Amino acid sequence: MNRFRSEISVAYAITALLILLAFLAPGFFTRENLSDLVLANMPVLIVALGMTLVILTGHIDISVGTMFAICSVAAGEFAKLGLPAAGAGLAACAIGAMLGAINGALVAYVRIPSIVVTLAAMVAFRDALRWITQGAWVQDLPGNFQWLGMTRTASDTITFSIAGALAIAIGWGLRNLPAGRSVYATGSNENAARLAGIDSALVTFSVFTITGALTGCAALLNSIRFNQIPSNAGIGMEMKAITAVVVGGTAITGGRGSIQGTVLGVILLGIVSPALTFLGFSAYWERAIQGLIILCAVGFGAVRSRLGSRLRGDFAERTV
Amino acid sequence: MMDLKRWFPNGEWRVLLALFVEIGIFAAIARNFLTAANFLEVIRLSVELGLLALALTPVIITGGIDLSVGSMMGLCAVVFGALVIDWHWPIAAAAMVTVGIGCVGGALNGVLIAEFKIPPLIVTLGSLSAFRGIAEGITHGAVNYSGFPKSFLFLGQGYVLGMPAQLPIFLIALAGYAVLLHRSVIGRGLYAIGFSGNGARYAGIAVARRIGLVYFLSGMAASVAAIVYVAHLGQAKSDAGTGYELDAITAVVLGGASVAGGRGTILGTVMGLFAISILQNGLHLAALPSELTGILTGAVLVLTIAMDRARQRKSREEQESAMKNGQVAILCGAILTGALITAGANVWLVRSLKTTPATASAGHTPVIAVIPKAKGDPYFVSCRIGAEEAARELGVELIWDGPTGLDAAKQNEIVESWITRRVDAIAVAVENQAGISTVLRKARGRGIHVLTWDADAEPDAREYFLNQATPDGIGDALTDEAARLLGGKGEFAIITGALSAANQNQWIAFIKKRAAEKYPGLKLVTIRPSDDDRDKAFLETQTILKVYPTVKLIMAISAPAVPGAGEAIRQSGHKNVDVIGLSLPGICKPYIHDGVVRTIFLWNTKNLGYLTVYAGTMLIQNKIPAGATSIQAGRLGTLEVSGSQIILGAPLLIDKRNIDKLDF
Repeated sequence: MNRFRSEISVAYAITALLILLAFLAPGFFTRENLSDLVLANMPVLIVALGMTLVILTGHIDISVGTMFAICSVAAGEFAKLGLPAAGAGLAACAIGAMLGAINGALVAYVRIPSIVVTLAAMVAFRDALRWITQGAWVQDLPGNFQWLGMTRTASDTITFSIAGALAIAIGWGLRNLPAGRSVYATGSNENAARLAGIDSALVTFSVFTITGALTGCAALLNSIRFNQIPSNAGIGMEMKAITAVVVGGTAITGGRGSIQGTVLGVILLGIVSPALTFLGFSAYWERAIQGLIILCAVGFGAVRSRLGSRLRGDFAERTV
Repeated sequence: MMDLKRWFPNGEWRVLLALFVEIGIFAAIARNFLTAANFLEVIRLSVELGLLALALTPVIITGGIDLSVGSMMGLCAVVFGALVIDWHWPIAAAAMVTVGIGCVGGALNGVLIAEFKIPPLIVTLGSLSAFRGIAEGITHGAVNYSGFPKSFLFLGQGYVLGMPAQLPIFLIALAGYAVLLHRSVIGRGLYAIGFSGNGARYAGIAVARRIGLVYFLSGMAASVAAIVYVAHLGQAKSDAGTGYELDAITAVVLGGASVAGGRGTILGTVMGLFAISILQNGLHLAALPSELTGILTGAVLVLTIAMDRARQRKSREEQESAMKNGQVAILCGAILTGALITAGANVWLVRSLKTTPATASAGHTPVIAVIPKAKGDPYFVSCRIGAEEAARELGVELIWDGPTGLDAAKQNEIVESWITRRVDAIAVAVENQAGISTVLRKARGRGIHVLTWDADAEPDAREYFLNQATPDGIGDALTDEAARLLGGKGEFAIITGALSAANQNQWIAFIKKRAAEKYPGLKLVTIRPSDDDRDKAFLETQTILKVYPTVKLIMAISAPAVPGAGEAIRQSGHKNVDVIGLSLPGICKPYIHDGVVRTIFLWNTKNLGYLTVYAGTMLIQNKIPAGATSIQAGRLGTLEVSGSQIILGAPLLIDKRNIDKLDF
């Protein structure tokens, strides 16, 4: 139980919301609604997996929304060049990994703070994409692009399996592989990790690259649900992913957190908005309520840990 | 080196260098850049952002961050507007309450961060949505307070002793923060906290109280910025200050502050601020596309910080040679800057000598500057094609630029820069009536012809409005079509753009009115936002279908929302639910052929762009006589002029029958 302490308050929040829905809007639990919600949140989940790694190393990546847009457009353009959807997907992942590697190199080797690097990448690449596409959508995609040319059910199953497999693999790897442990070590104390023989710069570089690749994967899996690709996709994606990770109990200072927490965070954020619709709230108050729920989930955890582990009295040296 | 260290304790000379290089380049390539009037405008436009950047400097020095400042501006603007306009409070009292709210919001952040020890990123991420959410909740996203007294607007638009009226506020804040950070015990404490929270605590500094203070001040500064913003734009709406937090953070970091805490100066922040605003201003004056702003800001940011990092590492490794290298670099930089400035000044001089007689002669190519609401939007992209066609046909120079997202303040900024550049005609797709009208009147006062298109400004601020369709015309057409498809009876839902989008809210009001007057059987069950995001419209439609199974029609009134809603219906297999809306034929084609989307309305966007440039050219050449009842607009033929409006024609009804004939 102790192991999951930070995740538990999110689990409570989700349970409370679901109980409320069960009484007031049982229509929420239809098979169709649940499967629609799951699929709609797969891209955010995959991006949030990468974000968890980045935040665990004590960094942050606010350029994922921009990378998401670039990879979506790239996947579409490659598909139009005649590449099969799987090939276009690999190309999108490669482009994502490349953009992530640029971020990673600047953070790990030039040692510029990650928020500065990814802030610059976010605005620069978004504007570059806007300039190149001039806002035009990618249209006239080949017939085998939407749902990979299969039935919708088959394609949805594939999307779900990929996301699930990635979550399980990364979650397992973080706990059990040396590479995973070195992510925690780097985030807890970079100097100590280096002294222990971990190439912490390489770890940092890798997590940014992986996040880029995962963002490319998310972009592809989102694109294949439609038959055209908007060039302004992914605006606000970074906030969604970061919020999910942080709500899921991962410490923004690095070194502490888990994939299961992130999964819970994505679930909470994914169901809040539709749940409020089901409960009949006006859209105009939705954002305020969302903010409050997040603050409550986080605040509750903070108060608990303050009561529980008796305040150590220190103020984290690096609070960002 | 000693002197450099003394004047620029945190290596701010790098930003100064970047600033000089910028000024040098723009002096060479941008018209009327090196003028006193232009610099005063740059200062005016920098005040709101500057206040936020000042407030964020101590926050970042303590190793924290405050993402909620932009949202706080939105909340304060709305509260201030409500107090003055709805409640008829005197300005001073309203301002005091507004600042009070800023303080309370800042204090809330401060308590959560300093007392409960929740990381600032998380707290302010939460309050970022909460503040903006409350502002949207209070106003339903739609209320736009305007009609503030002239004496108040003076604060944002007037001049005192030739200086922008809001400059003193900025200078007071600047002095206050400079004293706080660099000349007070508290300030030293803030640096100590940023270096090491524990160390500061052992040294006897009241860490929690100091940290609380900086967030409190940050909320207060945001509220002051909100009041200046309202006075500047003449309007208060819940979307005020969207995205300002990132620009402010960029300015602070560019100025050499370390996001890890412990390093940063007010001088650096101010230079970072001007590096950003001069970049934006210069790009507008040089008629380069706005997209370059983001690209260049990003590049400058990474380069400046990378230089700083390289210096730090070097000075740690071998101090001697670093000093020498540093000196050489400065020397090179100084020579380069000097050369650029001289070259720039020369080019500018030569140009100004050349252009003066050229303007007088008949051979001068007229310049028409056209501003869309948002540059990347497919709707405006297709308008641009028509505009370019007309410019080629008439041999005029077209400048097409605008904000990259819906942003009223950016529109003002761009028009200001065009006035400085002295274009011959300006055509604006107005995002915010009250805000832009002041600037447009100023343009008319300088002898520039002013048109509005797509959405109108106040009638006396422009010569003609190119009316493509009126909001009531759109509302009526959509409601009539919905009634026809539903047989006069049934439930429907609206998917709008952003909840605070002015156009859409106007249409919704007319849709409601028309339904109430003519079709009592029609029932609007819900309005959901899509934030102009196709994927969000898709999910919202899926949810609507389940929560309101009786809905038989979705009315999507934002261009990307129509394909989003169409795809959701297609995938759900609800054959009996229709989609209608306002969108571009290009992105709706597959759904219209499928029969999922029944009808969309739109005017011919290419023709609208064409007419904008055509009418602008006619104005410049004085070819529209006063009191004209019609004009000959090139390939569009004869168009009706009613009063000061040029009518493009009725909205097009687009469905299966005609969609393949349209190419936009």
